[in-house]
Amino acid sequence: MELRLDPELESFRQEIRTFINDVLPPEIKERQRTKVLNNATVPDQNEWMRILYRHGRSVPHWPVEFGGCGWSPMQIFIFSEELYAADAPEFDWGGTHMLGPVLYTYGSDELQDRFLPMIREGATNWAQGFSEPGSGSDLASLRTSAELVGDKYIVNGQKIWTSGASHCDWGFFLVRTDKTVKPQLGISFLIVKMDSPGVTVRQIPQINGDTHLCEVFLDNVEVPAGQLIGEPGMGWTYAKFLLEHERTTSSFIYWSKRELDRAKEIARGESRGGRRVADDPAFRARFARAEADLLALEWSVLRVLAHEETDTPEAAAASVLKIRGSELQQEITMLQVDALGEKALRFYEASPVAPPPSEAWPDYVPGRTAVALIARAATIYGGTKQVQKNILAKLAFGL
Amino acid sequence: MDFAKSDIQTMLLDSAERLLSDSSGVEYWREQHRSPLGFAEVRWAQFAELGWLALPVPEEAGGLSGTIEDVALLNIALGQALATEPYVSTVVLAGHILEQSAGEAGAMEALGSIAAGTLRIALAHQENGADPLSLDGVAMTARARGGGFVLDGGKIMALDAPSANQLIVSARIEGEEGIGLFLVPSGHDGVAVTAYPLLDSTRAADIAFNGVALPADALLVGGNHALAVLREAVDRASIAFMAQAVGAMEAAVKICGSYVQERKQFGVVIGSFQAIQHILADMFVAAHQARSMLYHALANADQPEARRAAALSAARIVIGDASQLVSRNGIQVHGGYGLTDEYAIGHYFRRLMCLEKHFGDLAAHLERFGGSVLA
Repeated sequence: MELRLDPELESFRQEIRTFINDVLPPEIKERQRTKVLNNATVPDQNEWMRILYRHGRSVPHWPVEFGGCGWSPMQIFIFSEELYAADAPEFDWGGTHMLGPVLYTYGSDELQDRFLPMIREGATNWAQGFSEPGSGSDLASLRTSAELVGDKYIVNGQKIWTSGASHCDWGFFLVRTDKTVKPQLGISFLIVKMDSPGVTVRQIPQINGDTHLCEVFLDNVEVPAGQLIGEPGMGWTYAKFLLEHERTTSSFIYWSKRELDRAKEIARGESRGGRRVADDPAFRARFARAEADLLALEWSVLRVLAHEETDTPEAAAASVLKIRGSELQQEITMLQVDALGEKALRFYEASPVAPPPSEAWPDYVPGRTAVALIARAATIYGGTKQVQKNILAKLAFGL
Repeated sequence: MDFAKSDIQTMLLDSAERLLSDSSGVEYWREQHRSPLGFAEVRWAQFAELGWLALPVPEEAGGLSGTIEDVALLNIALGQALATEPYVSTVVLAGHILEQSAGEAGAMEALGSIAAGTLRIALAHQENGADPLSLDGVAMTARARGGGFVLDGGKIMALDAPSANQLIVSARIEGEEGIGLFLVPSGHDGVAVTAYPLLDSTRAADIAFNGVALPADALLVGGNHALAVLREAVDRASIAFMAQAVGAMEAAVKICGSYVQERKQFGVVIGSFQAIQHILADMFVAAHQARSMLYHALANADQPEARRAAALSAARIVIGDASQLVSRNGIQVHGGYGLTDEYAIGHYFRRLMCLEKHFGDLAAHLERFGGSVLA
């Protein structure tokens, strides 16, 4: 048992920190830091992917032959941590972290050659079409159908909660290709071009003023049959692979670390009645718990990355990451809101540029509440907290 | 970073599995509760035979020079089995203080006796109303007299003191900075031990010292260094207790998992109810995070004091919260049976409650860690 970090990883971290500092344009960094809402910064996100690609680091977690860096899980962990700490834009998760691994694992050579370069070069944004209005936690009941007619699939149905669909060029969809078999066995994994005739995207106004979540309507959409990944009927298996592949990222550990730092900045900057929020014993106890819980989450991530031997399946540890990771996103963003007090109530329009800061309204105010509101989604998407607990009951207790 | 156990660690855990599974369970625990010391001498001798008492003791004193990770892994097993032996007091706490005062010939000899199982030592430090974390609240005095010292004062909640042959006692040395740590035979003239059981069947004592005359070499370590040594020793003991809590929680979670598959209501096992399943899932999450935080404390065990203390308090917070969640829900899923002395879960509840409060309770660690987080 060796619990100390390998010293070589510390020099790797320094190298990564210097690299990001050298290549991340300051104006993008600043817009990311002060952005009010997500949609406004999509161009920055794409530009950042292209920059990383030029340095061979846009998809470090992929196998080397597909453009990965050949790094260890710990190195990838450190790379991600440094990206978040530096306020770098997000990855295009749909492409780099969801579809990418499915494609290089199950896709034909033809599909790999066609789509993997687009993803790693940052040329495309990808939409995830899984949930439907009637199929949330019970995803296997999905009804969007794809019927093979000649060399095309004709797709009909409706998807929902498709993040960023309004600016996506492509999407990967779970569709029903066989209605005669057990629900899980009739699902296939299909790539759809978002500007195909018959695809309609509606942005959904959210409680935080953003319109990032979308509905996607598919009305007799023709999709070349070759855009079905792997085998028909295997979509459920691929989707489960995709979710399991994202085992440790569901913890949002790097994001939460950065946001807890921001919460501290607020607690030190805000005063009420002549006392800093940071000096209020009630807040101090909350901060202590949040920081301690986050450290525990980080070690739980490390345990999964190192494939610690345990007497329960690793997927149980992954559910722990999802449950605690999502709860902590909510606690930390609410800590920001509560540290701001009544100032957190001011509503900011979705805009890439926040209003100029003042003494009463420092630049840490805009965006905090919007993020805290949408963080309520963390315990809902990717398997709700309750579904995760069902999984744990089964995996850890055989219930 | 590697979580795999070394060969020595695997052997250690195998031996623990063999000895402790033979002698644990409700009947055994109840018997120990009624026994004079709260544990069986015969098993303490077995601890010695298996090398457990020699584990962290340096090789030059007849020990195995084991690491704090080794000690933690053994204590996870001790916690699973709710062992009541004074392992942490003697081997971890006193062992570390003696090792740090190893310049004294008596200290090396004492370490050898600990490893051999012939000497038990308890720390008598806590005084009524003192801060459990700063450890500097010492009113007890040591006056220099005739080339030696005379101790006067009182200590409370000296863990495992009733079964100890010797005590390590903290006192302010008159006219000097800091404190001194003295090795005092428990049966010494002027030492009055008032023993009592704790909730988990371990024993503690209040100890009055009235004109206790000691030779000069009874002083193990003095000056400002003594407080630093004491803090190190207490932090290591705290890690061992956290390991015991992790072991106890993991065992309690398993016990509950089995119970809900046996207990039937409405014609079905209660584990088929989602409300019960989600309680168990919460317990699993808490115990898992607790083990993660034990690793964090271990990874920082040899860091400079400020960093070590912050990591330790962070771990005590997560493990304290988890202990409460696991033990309270453990009783809840057992229904009324959880409140009886005849079911294991109530024994785990009591041990976890004790472990949460030794060496600073949850509130104390929250306050200390909150200060460092927002410093």
